[in-house]
Amino acid sequence: MSQMKFEIPEIELMKSGHVACPGCGASMAMRYALKALGPKTMVVIPACCWAIIDGPNPCSVNGVPVFHCAFETAAITATGIKAGLKRQGKDDISVLAWAGDGGTFDIGLQAISGAAERNEDIIYVCYDNEAYMNTGIQRSSATPWGAWTTTTPVKNPKERPKKDIVDILLAHHIPYVATASVAYPDDFIRKMQKAKSIRGMKFIHVLSPCPPGWKSQAEESVHISRLAVHSNVFPLYEVDDGYRYTISIQPKKVPVRDYLKYQGRFKHLSEEQIELIQQAADRKWDILMKKVEMGELFMQN
Amino acid sequence: MADSLIAEGLEKYFNPETTAEVKAIEGTHAASYAAKLARVKVVSAYPITPQTTIVEKLSEMCASGEMEAEFIKVESEHSAMACVIGAESTGTRSFTATSSQGLALMHEELHWATGARLPVVMANVNRALGAPWNIWADQTDSLAQRDTGWIQCYAESNQEVLDMIIQAYRLAEIVMLPVMVNMDAFFLSHTTEPVALPKQELVDQFLPEYNPKYKMDINDPHAFGGLAKPDTYMELRYNIQKSMEDAHRLIPEVADEFEKVIGRNHGGLIEEYQTKDAEYLIVTSGTITGTSRIVVDQLRAQGLKLGLLKIRFFRPFPVKEVQSVLGKIKKIAVIDRNLSFGRCGIFFSELQAALYNCECRPLLNGYVAGLGGRDVTPKTIEKIVNHLIASEKGEDLIWMELNI
Amino acid sequence: MKDALESNNGKPVFAMSVTDMHKNKTGSWRYMRPIYDEKTPPCIKGCPAGERIPQYFALVKEKRYQDAWHLILEDNPLPGVCGRVCYHPCEGVCNRKDFDETIAIHNLERFVADQNVGNSFPQRFFAEKTGKKTAIIGSGPAGLSAAFQLARKGHAVTIYESLAEPGGMLQMGIPKYRLPREVLEKEINDIKSLGVEIITNTEIGKDKPWQELSDTFDSILVATGATKSRPMQIPGEDLEGVSSGLAFLREFNMQHKRDIKKKIVIIGGGNTAIDCARSAIRLGAYVTIIYRRSRHEMPAVPEEIAEAEAEGVKIIYLTNPIEFIGNGKLEKIKLVQMQLGQPDADGRRRPVPIKGSEFEIEADQVMLAIGEVPKLDFLPEGVHEKWGRVDVDAYQMSNNKGVFACGDSANGPIGTVVDAIATGKRAAIAIDSYLTNQETEFVHYGKVVGFNEINLDYFKKEKRVKQNRNNQKEVLSNFNEVHLGISESDALYEAERCFSCGICTYCDTCLIYCPDVAITKAPDGKGYIINYEFCKGCGLCVHECPRNAMTFEEELKWRIV
Repeated sequence: MSQMKFEIPEIELMKSGHVACPGCGASMAMRYALKALGPKTMVVIPACCWAIIDGPNPCSVNGVPVFHCAFETAAITATGIKAGLKRQGKDDISVLAWAGDGGTFDIGLQAISGAAERNEDIIYVCYDNEAYMNTGIQRSSATPWGAWTTTTPVKNPKERPKKDIVDILLAHHIPYVATASVAYPDDFIRKMQKAKSIRGMKFIHVLSPCPPGWKSQAEESVHISRLAVHSNVFPLYEVDDGYRYTISIQPKKVPVRDYLKYQGRFKHLSEEQIELIQQAADRKWDILMKKVEMGELFMQN
Repeated sequence: MADSLIAEGLEKYFNPETTAEVKAIEGTHAASYAAKLARVKVVSAYPITPQTTIVEKLSEMCASGEMEAEFIKVESEHSAMACVIGAESTGTRSFTATSSQGLALMHEELHWATGARLPVVMANVNRALGAPWNIWADQTDSLAQRDTGWIQCYAESNQEVLDMIIQAYRLAEIVMLPVMVNMDAFFLSHTTEPVALPKQELVDQFLPEYNPKYKMDINDPHAFGGLAKPDTYMELRYNIQKSMEDAHRLIPEVADEFEKVIGRNHGGLIEEYQTKDAEYLIVTSGTITGTSRIVVDQLRAQGLKLGLLKIRFFRPFPVKEVQSVLGKIKKIAVIDRNLSFGRCGIFFSELQAALYNCECRPLLNGYVAGLGGRDVTPKTIEKIVNHLIASEKGEDLIWMELNI
Repeated sequence: MKDALESNNGKPVFAMSVTDMHKNKTGSWRYMRPIYDEKTPPCIKGCPAGERIPQYFALVKEKRYQDAWHLILEDNPLPGVCGRVCYHPCEGVCNRKDFDETIAIHNLERFVADQNVGNSFPQRFFAEKTGKKTAIIGSGPAGLSAAFQLARKGHAVTIYESLAEPGGMLQMGIPKYRLPREVLEKEINDIKSLGVEIITNTEIGKDKPWQELSDTFDSILVATGATKSRPMQIPGEDLEGVSSGLAFLREFNMQHKRDIKKKIVIIGGGNTAIDCARSAIRLGAYVTIIYRRSRHEMPAVPEEIAEAEAEGVKIIYLTNPIEFIGNGKLEKIKLVQMQLGQPDADGRRRPVPIKGSEFEIEADQVMLAIGEVPKLDFLPEGVHEKWGRVDVDAYQMSNNKGVFACGDSANGPIGTVVDAIATGKRAAIAIDSYLTNQETEFVHYGKVVGFNEINLDYFKKEKRVKQNRNNQKEVLSNFNEVHLGISESDALYEAERCFSCGICTYCDTCLIYCPDVAITKAPDGKGYIINYEFCKGCGLCVHECPRNAMTFEEELKWRIV
């Protein structure tokens, strides 16, 4: 079929009227996630943009039970909920921990590591907008190298690369880890549905464009997400049982420059710096391909 | 059971009709058995001395199937509390236990449990906080959690630990506030005492199945704990205070109910001992109370009109109760195994504040003793009584047996 | 004691949601407004008849071939004919050509027509009679198109045809290997089913006087086409063996005259020249085409030229005859080589003879196919002509009130079947307004979608379908149709490949990406509804629309309204 088309469930559990910024990737991601999981779902939201987006008390934009929890506790609160449900014989309900990059890469890392090591039967989605956006764009360990934030000003942009959260989770030997993009809702939904069908800890890392924080145009959110995939900045893949790597979308290998140019947070970068980002993306892809090969080898043996 | 109790001559201590078994156990195990009897469905905990034996016993019981519960062995106390918060949000009775540093780490989550109106019950073993490291008895850990909105109760014996944990669920699930049952490190936690385990069916009769009005439910979806703006937050705090006031009223009622079913009553928010004609009074909490009972008996035998007031609940604080008891007394000694730096013993300052709006204000002395697990012996208490009798003016902070 | 969690004066005692966010009308944030705004795809504008190409493709995709046929018919009653003989200017402007390959619109049109050979016109084409009568002179594509459109409006139509069979150039000019006559007959019969009367063997001015028409009919449409071959005006044109190409085609196609010579030279580079050449080669002749410019300027359809060459036709470019030599009978042709000079009025470079380059070739028959002009001697005096054609205004009307003209007999776009169909349709619209005294409404195209306005992220490169054809050797031995059209699966594939520039295909992209769940499907399933109470105006839907069927507008404009 010539045109890329998406077959996605019609159900809309996330409603209108939420307070996400125009063009917010995180709101799109939630919409798709709930479409995938359906009404038999409970959501745990720690401190993050979504703690606000969902609506002030006594309102909630999501048509499923939502529990707001403390910043660092998404994974463990979800664990507790799952344990409670299990004891009530309601084990068929999916419990979704829905945290930002700060709540996952930084303050929540301990709890997610604990849950992953115990292989808790939860779905953890990190919607990654690559900084503390809810507090006003401060750097997190998910902020990419060279990016501007309010705490990594242009004169001193972020000097360290983004933490490889997927690799960290994989080191816990959990059954399913995947990356996802709001530009590919069908792929994201398929991964969520797959996660739902698997027992144990599932981790999905979804890149979530943030127009105010990335200094990008609201209407470009999907386009930028797509470029992130095709420039290898954010490749889409999934890992089953810790070693079977599958590339979900074959990247068109566009230059990282095309991805960076739509975002004001990278405006200050020199040609040399962009080249470094290019090299890092290429390297990341090469390593990923080696992992794909290794996984195939293991399967043969 | 009844027969063997009678055979051993224990029937005057343990009601043969309500007791399933008398076990010689430490305080931590009393907590574990209480959780089991309360039919807790989810346990989550992280090990810390001297709480560990609670967790070990629970693990054992969960593993053997003696107890039907999920046991989630988390990676920190913060997560332990977050985990039971999650479990409680689904309407599942949950339990955790901690001590000292662990409780301090939980601090944020203690607030969350209260704000989310989740009737979590936790056993806390009162232990000193570092630095320097110290694993022995000290109440500063739990008292530092004063403003988290937890109902706090302090046990004197292993039996009281067990009975209070069961009662705590009953209370918590009515007022929808969390309850912390405290026991002193080692003096209770690791001291073996005979403890009557009540019959399960009686516990079930006293403590009905937990089924909250609202919970995480896919058939009735709500969001819990969403942003409350200045226009609503204060009313939500007011509601917690109202429930705390309800708890104040309910604590003696629950104790009476427990007595009706199980046959034991440890008192309401306070327990009075020899206070009727007392001119002098010792105010205690936790294990110091037991030691003080002996001193009161001894000095009364010598003709001193000495009484004892045991504070069982720190939150809600028994303001009315202490006002009615202390108003009749001449001189009062408050013994604190805790300290608020820059002020004095914490029970003392609470008590002193409670008496400010009282017409009759007795002489009040605050004694800080036994920090970090140092022994508070009958001798120490006698010294305090003698110092009290000699006092002409109240003093907020008197350090006992300080080696300086 | 009441439950601790029971609500307090209707308010929950703790932070718990009791409603959604429907009261939070986030539409107030918006300063730009997305709207569904369909635009003109280049193919529709490129088609003289204005066929709604992406729209009928959409029906093809749903396998609603009958509905697709009906939609084409609205603009063109001869899709079976055009799907075979049209030079398909639509494909020349197709945006897909800049991506991979142009869409095979021509083949799809034929496919749709071929799916409907057993079907007749839908009931809605049969209008209530108005009582007005129009005479059409000529039953070629222009006349048939006009007759169809007028009949659909309820006007009575009578067509006068001088030849024995209706169809004009389609009947006499186009060889059967390109257009089997049953296809033409089917479509003419469909038009006749609307009550259109075709009177053959009746030449106006000869068999029936003009005056009779003007007395009987409320309006007259001249659609006689261009049937008179232009002479070369060089020595030897009167020799035996020098004749008109069109006359050869007419005699062969309609009277089955097969007696031709062996060495045939055809002068000209248009479709008539190619038709003559390919017909002659099928009759066993050696055929050479002489054309005065280069292949680039050749007006015949490029595919046709290629087919002719493949069949063995020799083409000599940049060459012009200056004399036909022979003794009563043609023997040789004297030719001169040409070179291209400055562009002339129609933009093509003017050929200029090269001095001293004359040469001769042998030939026993020459067919002149350098263009045809109308034969308008039947017109009453006073009807203005321009360059040998009826001079019409923008409404296809001559200076003689009620007398209209279209196709090759009128000035305007000429020379192709689809131009004739287009002007016939245009004339019908004008005649209808003349007859009913109402304003004329021609279609005005809005913004045409450019290639750079297509969101290529949504498309992947794919090969264009290839039409099936008969065996190369076999086709030369008979007049069977060379091309066989495309299969159903190819048609579906090709329709799917279309960008559908500016025309919504209900692909759901806008709906899927809306972060605010502010877009829903229209109840009838055709299109979408934007809930402006909640749309924040992020613009994602407009930006992501694969085909530019949406527009982002200043909110202020709407607020003022």
